[in-house]
Amino acid sequence: MSRRNVLLQVARRGGSFMSLLKKLWQHPKGRVGLVLVGCLVLVAVLAPVLAPYDPYDVTQRVEKGLHPSLAHPLGTTITTGQDILSMLIYGSRVSLMIGISTGVAIAFLGALMGVMAGYIGGFVDNLIMRTVDILLVIPTLPLIIVLTNLLGRSYFVIVMVFVVFGWTGLARVIRSLVLVLKNSNYVKAAELAGASRWYIMTKHILPGTSHLIIMNTTLTCAGIMVAEAGLSFLGLGDPTAISWGKMLAEAQGGGALLFGAWWWILAPGVGIFLAVFSFMRIGIVMEEVFNPRMKASSSIYKLFKHMNNTYLDEVFRSMDNEESDESAERPNPSDAPLPEGSHD
Amino acid sequence: MKRSYVIKRILYAVFIFFVVLTLNFFIPRIGVRDPAERYYPPQGAMSDIEYEIIKQFTAEQYGFDVSTFQQYVRYLNGLIHGDLGTSLRAGSPRVTELIGERLPWTLVLSVTTLIISLVIGLLFGTLAAWKRGRWQDTLLLSASTISIALPAFFIALMLSFYLGFELELFPAYTNPNMVAQFDWSLEAIRVVMNNAALPIMSMALGGIVGYSQTTRNSVIAVTNEDFVITARAKGLSHTTVLYKHVLRNAMLPLATSIGMSISGLIGGAIIIERVFNWQGMGTLFLEANSTNDYPLMMGIMLFLSAFAILANLITELFYSILDPRVTVGDKR
Repeated sequence: MSRRNVLLQVARRGGSFMSLLKKLWQHPKGRVGLVLVGCLVLVAVLAPVLAPYDPYDVTQRVEKGLHPSLAHPLGTTITTGQDILSMLIYGSRVSLMIGISTGVAIAFLGALMGVMAGYIGGFVDNLIMRTVDILLVIPTLPLIIVLTNLLGRSYFVIVMVFVVFGWTGLARVIRSLVLVLKNSNYVKAAELAGASRWYIMTKHILPGTSHLIIMNTTLTCAGIMVAEAGLSFLGLGDPTAISWGKMLAEAQGGGALLFGAWWWILAPGVGIFLAVFSFMRIGIVMEEVFNPRMKASSSIYKLFKHMNNTYLDEVFRSMDNEESDESAERPNPSDAPLPEGSHD
Repeated sequence: MKRSYVIKRILYAVFIFFVVLTLNFFIPRIGVRDPAERYYPPQGAMSDIEYEIIKQFTAEQYGFDVSTFQQYVRYLNGLIHGDLGTSLRAGSPRVTELIGERLPWTLVLSVTTLIISLVIGLLFGTLAAWKRGRWQDTLLLSASTISIALPAFFIALMLSFYLGFELELFPAYTNPNMVAQFDWSLEAIRVVMNNAALPIMSMALGGIVGYSQTTRNSVIAVTNEDFVITARAKGLSHTTVLYKHVLRNAMLPLATSIGMSISGLIGGAIIIERVFNWQGMGTLFLEANSTNDYPLMMGIMLFLSAFAILANLITELFYSILDPRVTVGDKR
């Protein structure tokens, strides 16, 4: 099976959003992921109802350094005596908000850039792909630190920076797919019928890439949540909000390690793990559903090693090596192995 | 390896570097017209004249006393002479000096981590591919899920808690005197190794899993190729097939992932260095951030980008030696 056929098959497997959800639900692992994500969203939305105490309320602070008990299921902090369960519940808001909003924004920008680069080609393609090359060599985490220093430590700035530097992976993947779709018969037919470029892009090309975008988005969400935890841990998140990364930083700074307050460290860690794990699960199952050739075990690692999700590129490249490509589309030099730094 | 390909790649790397250094010049100037107003707002009963002096002083310090274009020329001129600027710290040390001081300490961590994860990953990945579907393989799969979903700094915290504070096997925080007292004696080297144990462990976990996965997948991919089946059919022994036919060809994807980790060798440990307070490039950068030391921050950024570009270039050229098909594809 050549790369072109695989891509076309992948494109055909995509359907409406509801049918996608149905497929995920029918898959046992996918169901686990969906239920977990659903629970997380519920917890984040209902935080004020679910949390036994208000972690922002200074008057509700109790005895310091309590072990987990019935009144405080996850204990309290050593320094301020806040209820850790409540902090954990409120912390899910930051993770999910940043993860999902960044993921969605990256999906839009990446898809736009990828479709433009692939379909219009020529100068536009060159410009976009050179930009990708440049963004890939700039160390992301130091740059985010510089920009939060310059523009202020707000979640808006953090999301913007994540988006500006995070769209490259998706754009590359979409571009490869668009290059194949562009030469397919139905697009040719539309061109001959006199359809405008914009019409073809939005009505014919974009729907073909939708499943790839959705899959990529869940994986990006998960990656961004890890990155956000790291930023908050460094003290670069919003200083007023409670987030899991900041809880870990406070725990370390407050001597949780020294005084053996394991519950203070474990709770946010488990929170991060569950959130990332559930999004990742969905992404991996989608990959299996769309492309059964790729076994989860073979790609699971690539998904996350690099936040830029170039794993599909690699998969396509390995397919290229398997069989020479007979299609008219030729891979651009920038699709040749272009290693990128893992700066996180 | 074709010469035209090499020249093209080098020129492209130079072009990228030029763009990056220009960005590097302009980023810290986003929305900053007067550094004094931004970083040293007028305090209490400060007279206008006093504040004028402060303004002038900071402008000079940040290099804002001339026009932007002149600043850019000055910056380029400095770079040509290998000068990344002067830090705002007391005694105004050169940025290159500060980097030179801290770089070896980061390399101690990252190079050791790279070697350890490469060796173990190669062995374990081959094992997992050999025993595909058995418990070794399943172990690798679950390990990768965990190592991806758990941030490395959380693993570092847990290690620091358990091995550092509970069992007291290794120092949970880096000994602050380690750097100052280092004199190449055996005792000093032992202290460094002892202090580096936990940071290396927390970083190596992800690396081991990563290299294992890469090795496993590429070994399995190669095992299914015709020439391996032929070699088996010829009656060659398992070990000969593994070493001469499978592993040698399975190295290609591994070379790419080594290249990727090399470009992250210097700047990849910021959070881990912070957890253990290890005095490397990462903590240097965070210190610069907390004191608004822009020349130092941007100097480090440029250094990191240059290193990444260089590592990418070397990986590409190296890759084209390993796999000549790459250069052929570049001809059009």
